[in-house]
Amino acid sequence: MTEGKTIRVLMAKPGLDGHDRGARVLTLGLRDEGMEVIYTGLRQTPDKIVQAAIQEDVDVVGLSCLSGAHKYLFPEVVEQLRGEGVSDVLVIGGGIIPQDDIPFLQDKGINAIFGPGTPVKDIAEYIRHNVKKN
Amino acid sequence: MSGNGNIEEVRKRRREWEDKILKPALDRFGAEKSPNQFYTPADLGEYDFLEKVGFPGEYPFTAGEYATNLPNMRIRGGVSSALVRAQNYSGYGTAEDTRDYYNYVREALGRRGGPNVAFDLPTQCGYDSDDPRARGEVGKVGVAVDTLRDFEVLYEAFVGENDLDKIASNWTINAPCNIVMAMYIALAEKRGVAIDQLKGTPQNDILKEFAARGTYIFPPRPSMRMTRDTITYCTEHMPQMNTISICGYHMREAGASPAQMAGFTFSNGMAYVQLGVDAGLDVDTFMRRFTFLAWSTGMEFFKEIARARAGRRVWARLMKERFGAKDPRSLLARGAGGMGIPTHTLTAQRPLNNVVRGVITGIGNALSGGMPFGGVPYDEPLGLGHSLEAQQLSMDAGRILQFEARMADVLDPLAGSYYVESLTDQMEEEIWDVIRKIDDMGGAVAAIEKGYMQREITRSAYQYQKDMEMGKRVMVGVNRFTGEQELEVSTSRLVEHPYDPVKREEAEQKQRATLARVKAERDNEKVQASLKRLRDAAQDEEVNLIPVILEAVKVYASVGEMCGVLREVFGEYQAYNVLA
Repeated sequence: MTEGKTIRVLMAKPGLDGHDRGARVLTLGLRDEGMEVIYTGLRQTPDKIVQAAIQEDVDVVGLSCLSGAHKYLFPEVVEQLRGEGVSDVLVIGGGIIPQDDIPFLQDKGINAIFGPGTPVKDIAEYIRHNVKKN
Repeated sequence: MSGNGNIEEVRKRRREWEDKILKPALDRFGAEKSPNQFYTPADLGEYDFLEKVGFPGEYPFTAGEYATNLPNMRIRGGVSSALVRAQNYSGYGTAEDTRDYYNYVREALGRRGGPNVAFDLPTQCGYDSDDPRARGEVGKVGVAVDTLRDFEVLYEAFVGENDLDKIASNWTINAPCNIVMAMYIALAEKRGVAIDQLKGTPQNDILKEFAARGTYIFPPRPSMRMTRDTITYCTEHMPQMNTISICGYHMREAGASPAQMAGFTFSNGMAYVQLGVDAGLDVDTFMRRFTFLAWSTGMEFFKEIARARAGRRVWARLMKERFGAKDPRSLLARGAGGMGIPTHTLTAQRPLNNVVRGVITGIGNALSGGMPFGGVPYDEPLGLGHSLEAQQLSMDAGRILQFEARMADVLDPLAGSYYVESLTDQMEEEIWDVIRKIDDMGGAVAAIEKGYMQREITRSAYQYQKDMEMGKRVMVGVNRFTGEQELEVSTSRLVEHPYDPVKREEAEQKQRATLARVKAERDNEKVQASLKRLRDAAQDEEVNLIPVILEAVKVYASVGEMCGVLREVFGEYQAYNVLA
């Protein structure tokens, strides 16, 4: 990634889950890490998230889900991104994701899952090292 | 308690102690300041026991809600029939799945009482299981309920000696509360149970949904009108039915500080009381049916104990002084219990540590007006549902605290402690500060419309995270004591959970098929007519919608259809984006 370009992140809550402490805290935390972060708010459908990601030309999409619907919703976002021809956006996830579901999600194209207790700077570091766009 | 002369003497002796005893000790360790404090009567100042504490079950309720904990102690001991108590919060997949689970916990685990129903998110947000927005969520965090048919099946687990007039039900439902309430009424009518015999508690606290929990549907004002409908309808027709369970829990879990949690809860609570007053009801006729699902708690033991004690005192004063309530039952924060439930402190890292956290809060509850309990099952943060062994351990922890440690024997055992009483005063002042700020904004509804609670909770949540990252706040196994020399203890599931994961995977498809069948078999003309009546009635602010909803429920109109009509009239809440 070009030196000096600000990383743009879309923090999103797919589905109907109302628990967004993690998404809000990470939005503020990544802003303090120097990134531009847009938070979608609650109850976003996968296609709304994909549209926002394209419109905002983001480098990263962060998905948060604590309702157990991640196995449908996260892959759906990745698939729709690909359907729109977007392949250079890093997709990361978080929330209450059982360990056993992580390989499935990675297989479906979610680049990384960060569980509760992950320091913001670890996520920021991961993003800086793995962001795909040039 | 102590005259000023004595306090002067204590102050003098304290200065001497600091010079002659404390300072040399600190010098010996090369420290400027001691990490420890010691409280004396001088810290407490003027202290009037009767005014500040009083007796348990008496104004201002600092010492506890009730004069005796007898009913709770019997439940713990398994002696009482306790049918009027709801069970553990649960709900899985389809109505059939949940009915089978309820039968299982009664037959195999011997648990009595009515259901404490967890609904899935589509139901909570007013969408049918076949709505595109429900994809992936059906039957996930609770049972899917689309129509009265699902309620009929769910309650097949409660018949005969467990029929609706003998049990109490608990429903964690907010925005569509009156629809669920109408389903219960319709079910009772079908079974020939008089509705004035129905007992239960809906959550029905919409304001905290805007502030924190997120399962709102309509904007605040029409939402409050629906809460008013619950209050007035139940006061007239269902005198044994609680109308609301006012929650601080979710706001704290979302990040609120202890004082914000309590202050926001009471401000929201006052907005609900005002609904009844504005509807022309005498406060003493409906307040006895208000309950609290009040607190989430952190690990800061004494501070949280003080907050719980102070909270009861604040609410009692609000009810007495602002609303002129006279019946003692109108003055107490019923169901608020002790310091609370520590869910947000539980960690996925080394999950057995959560047993320790549960026990700490169990003790804290016993010391602050609640019952000693074992806390949330330790595997909560793993996101797999509570295993039976974790549930057993949680129950046993409470039993050990009650029967071995005898933690339930003395009510408010910290009353009169110089430290705890000073801290209780201090927490009370902090709670009043929060309430006064919201008063200045015009009350809870206005504060929520301005995004104030949402913003404050976000600010506190982020501060908490920064404190964690800077090590100012410690979570063992998360941000400290995580080196290679530590043993990362994990757990495995020993006992199979009665809700089969295969059923979980199949639930969405099954529920959609059921709904399609119901929609095909019902009289759709009647449904459309009932929905039209609902639309018309919704437009008139003065009309109580529950009888109209009841008619729609009886002809198997769905939650999504009824909420859809109400969305057209009321609009949908557009969340205040505090991060824009």
